[in-house]
Amino acid sequence: MTQGMLALPRFLARLPADRLFVVVTRATALVAIVLVLSLLSPHFFTFQNLMNVLRQASLQFILSAGLTLVILTGGIDLSVGAVLGLSACLGASLIVSGHVALGIAAALAAGLACGLANGMLVTQLRIPAFIATYGMLWIAHGLTYVFMKGEVIHGFDKGFRFIGAGHVGPIPAPVIAAAILLGLLYVLLHHTRLGRGIYAIGGNPVAARLSGMPVNRYLITVYALSGVLAAFAGLVVIARVNAADPGTGEELLLAAIAAVCLGGTSLFGGQGGIGGTIVGSLILALVINGMNLLNVSTFWQAGGMGLIVLVSVFADQVGGRRVNAAVHHRGGKP
Amino acid sequence: MNQLKSRRRVLAAGAAALGSVLLAPAALGQTAGQKPLRLVVFTKNLTNPFWNAVRVGADKAGKDLGVTIEHAAPTKPDNIEEQTRQVEDWIVRKPDGFVFVPVDYKALVPTIQKVNKAGIPIVVFNNRMTDVEQVTYVGSDDETIGYEITRHLIQAMGGKGKIIHIDGVPAAITAQNRKKGFERALKEFPQVELLASQPGNYRRLPAVQVFENLMQRFPQIDGVFCANDDMAVGVAEALEAAGRGGKTKVVGIDAIPDGAAAILSGKMLASADFSGHDQAYLAVTAMVRHLRGERVPKEIALPVVIVDRQNAKTWTMPVAEKPVPQWAKVVAAQKN
Amino acid sequence: MNAPAAIATHAGRPSVRQLLAAAPGAVYLLVILCALLAVWRPEFLSAANLTNVALQVAVLVIVSLGMTLVILTEGIDLSLGAVLGLAGVVMGLALVGGYPFPLAIAAALAVGLAFGLANGALIAWAGMPPFIVTLGTLGIAHSLAMVLTHGNSVTGLPAQVRWFNEGQVLGFPVPLVATAVLFLLTYLLLYHTRFGRYVFAIGGNRRALALSGVRVSAYLIAVYAFAGAMAAAASFVMTARMNAAHPTIALGLEFDAIAAVVLGGTSFEKGRGGIVGTLAGAAAVGVLRNGLNLLGVSAEWQVAAIGLVIIGGVAFDSIRGRT
Repeated sequence: MTQGMLALPRFLARLPADRLFVVVTRATALVAIVLVLSLLSPHFFTFQNLMNVLRQASLQFILSAGLTLVILTGGIDLSVGAVLGLSACLGASLIVSGHVALGIAAALAAGLACGLANGMLVTQLRIPAFIATYGMLWIAHGLTYVFMKGEVIHGFDKGFRFIGAGHVGPIPAPVIAAAILLGLLYVLLHHTRLGRGIYAIGGNPVAARLSGMPVNRYLITVYALSGVLAAFAGLVVIARVNAADPGTGEELLLAAIAAVCLGGTSLFGGQGGIGGTIVGSLILALVINGMNLLNVSTFWQAGGMGLIVLVSVFADQVGGRRVNAAVHHRGGKP
Repeated sequence: MNQLKSRRRVLAAGAAALGSVLLAPAALGQTAGQKPLRLVVFTKNLTNPFWNAVRVGADKAGKDLGVTIEHAAPTKPDNIEEQTRQVEDWIVRKPDGFVFVPVDYKALVPTIQKVNKAGIPIVVFNNRMTDVEQVTYVGSDDETIGYEITRHLIQAMGGKGKIIHIDGVPAAITAQNRKKGFERALKEFPQVELLASQPGNYRRLPAVQVFENLMQRFPQIDGVFCANDDMAVGVAEALEAAGRGGKTKVVGIDAIPDGAAAILSGKMLASADFSGHDQAYLAVTAMVRHLRGERVPKEIALPVVIVDRQNAKTWTMPVAEKPVPQWAKVVAAQKN
Repeated sequence: MNAPAAIATHAGRPSVRQLLAAAPGAVYLLVILCALLAVWRPEFLSAANLTNVALQVAVLVIVSLGMTLVILTEGIDLSLGAVLGLAGVVMGLALVGGYPFPLAIAAALAVGLAFGLANGALIAWAGMPPFIVTLGTLGIAHSLAMVLTHGNSVTGLPAQVRWFNEGQVLGFPVPLVATAVLFLLTYLLLYHTRFGRYVFAIGGNRRALALSGVRVSAYLIAVYAFAGAMAAAASFVMTARMNAAHPTIALGLEFDAIAAVVLGGTSFEKGRGGIVGTLAGAAAVGVLRNGLNLLGVSAEWQVAAIGLVIIGGVAFDSIRGRT
């Protein structure tokens, strides 16, 4: 969180007007939600609860982080939840028998394999990402079911559980993991060739290809990263709940996409960034936390989420367009 | 050109893989020689360990009685439409009997009436169905189990205090009946205050997240009733993680091994069991007896067992090692 | 426009080779699956089983028809499953509440149309990505259905509802007749009206269409409204089949529909494809599911097999250079 804030000013100066608009609206939304919840519920603005929200947002962020990269290239990865489940279960089977390092490695490798497969399907066989990753969703679920045979793996080593349930001082471990991940991905996106490639592919894939960029290699890397990060999210989840069952991750997909979009990353590709996703994850976690604190039925959760996503993207499109037009009118920079 | 060639090769490999996937089951399916009885056992999903215990129990009965057991479960958990399709497909395959649990006890009625019309006998277990012909119903009452475990919880709380209800999938009849039982028990203790009731969808992560948020709202929670153990263990873990372990008594239902372990370690107070393993074993036995022309009671009710520190050890063992129920003993215990 | 459509509209006689090249992966998949199943499981070809399969895919076909039009405009509609559920719930509640049958149907159709119009308006006028718009309305429709029913099934529907499932018209089951009628309707709309031509053109070259003075937004909104109405129509068949309306009954159905459309040779880009392929795609998905059950493939492996077949089918088209 703090890293995102520090990076902001320099980042802001370079932004075109409509992106600046996105950043401003998200920041405003975040502050507004915090203010409203503080007024409505006496339990909201407490250290305990804020840490609680941060932890839930971190989990969301870790899962949505890889997806952000994919969406920046103009693609989509529908398999993140299923890959999370598969890798978590594979890893858990080893971790529970005492091979913690091996289990973690196996989980990440499984995520990598699924991600690579997605990347190959998209680039080599030129299957639309939507279909390739939807097929992968089924395959990963199926393999999970076959592997688990309906059982649950539970009771992990304390050391392993640290990543999901531990604390550093008062800060929950997943929050720290999310912060580190945010830093790494920020550097990757804004200070490496791969990062520039990701934006270029999302902005204009034909131009990217013509400019001699290794587009396929970049794309495969991005899907592979998405798989690995899903696996990492899976490890955090099972460490947190102290169990892995074959349904792990099943209900996480739509929220993961919503967090990315709430963060202002465009599904058309090429616009947005990882900083937005952390804001999106925070907004999502805040709204759900607020609903629980205010005793709103969970039946409204899906709708609440849907409505916020619609409102925010609507604001981006309509507001962003207006702002851009205004800037053009005054002869400012585009 | 080269690319085209490699693509062709990929195509061939893909076709081969597809072929082998599709051929393998056919080969398996045709190995059945001298025809033993063939039963199909339905479960609600592949994700909840309760249904795995059911499948294991059914397989044991199949082995003991020398009949072939096949399994059917929706690929999307608890999906009504998919279970409907599976029943229809199984009518075409004409098994000797259906051992069936509906994912929705009302929505599946027209489909099960088709099974009746096709003349295939059916034993219903776990969730009661009306308006269909059935050999027998094997199960326990979800309302009773909710009632019994809630009473156990409140008595352990000294008959007073603040309580939270974590519901299952609200649409599921099991969740509705468990909730009814919970509410009936609650009425008997006017000094108990219900703080909140929220669904956790029978799954651990949603239950944990809902409960974490509720913990912020309620600094004092004396008891938590969870509609199954998967959620109860998650809630117990969340309490522990928040440094509130031991102050709040948590109960669940199903007595899964994970839950039994949590009870032994003191994280959970108790659970309640109406053994899916036993239900399935008895349901298959009832069907086989019926097919062999023996008499079967109209209903086989299984008692609710409260699992607490005293007896939890038996429930930590894997389902595969669980002892099977004895038909004669269970039948003798029935009222009619 | 793909060849099956072209063949259907023009009277010229294409060679067998042309036909084979033009047929989408779904057609091959369907033929192979049927052939294999006929050999392995003689009961597959029984009238009872074929009726089964047809009834089972009716809902998927109806939803996929609307989805095809949406995808032809380079869009996507993730809300259709949730809208189907909500429309069914609204119809069910109206019937249980004692409202007359036509009113209940009108209410369900209104739900479908309203969501479709909202989707279309946000996409066409506000320029929002279809994926995100329909993801948002998915959540809203799902929540509304849950709140209206408290998550329960709506049961105790009047007996007429079952007519949608068990009734017969000229000896054919009503769901099949309804599906056939809706298919023909969509066919006429897509291949014999200006609206249909514009659907292809919106996907093919939206800018040129707009420059030629066509009000693209209006047509785009109509496409989403049509898809919403089809989802509502599918909810009648679904509700009758279940004899109950359930809020979560069709969640995720939209993904199956998208898979059916793409297997049927409709491309996410450039307005290529058509509804004949979609019919084959949906049928292939239905036969696959039915076949896996008949073969007794364990549920665990069924899940993986479905993924493999979806990828395999689309990869097959891609490798042949069809897409």
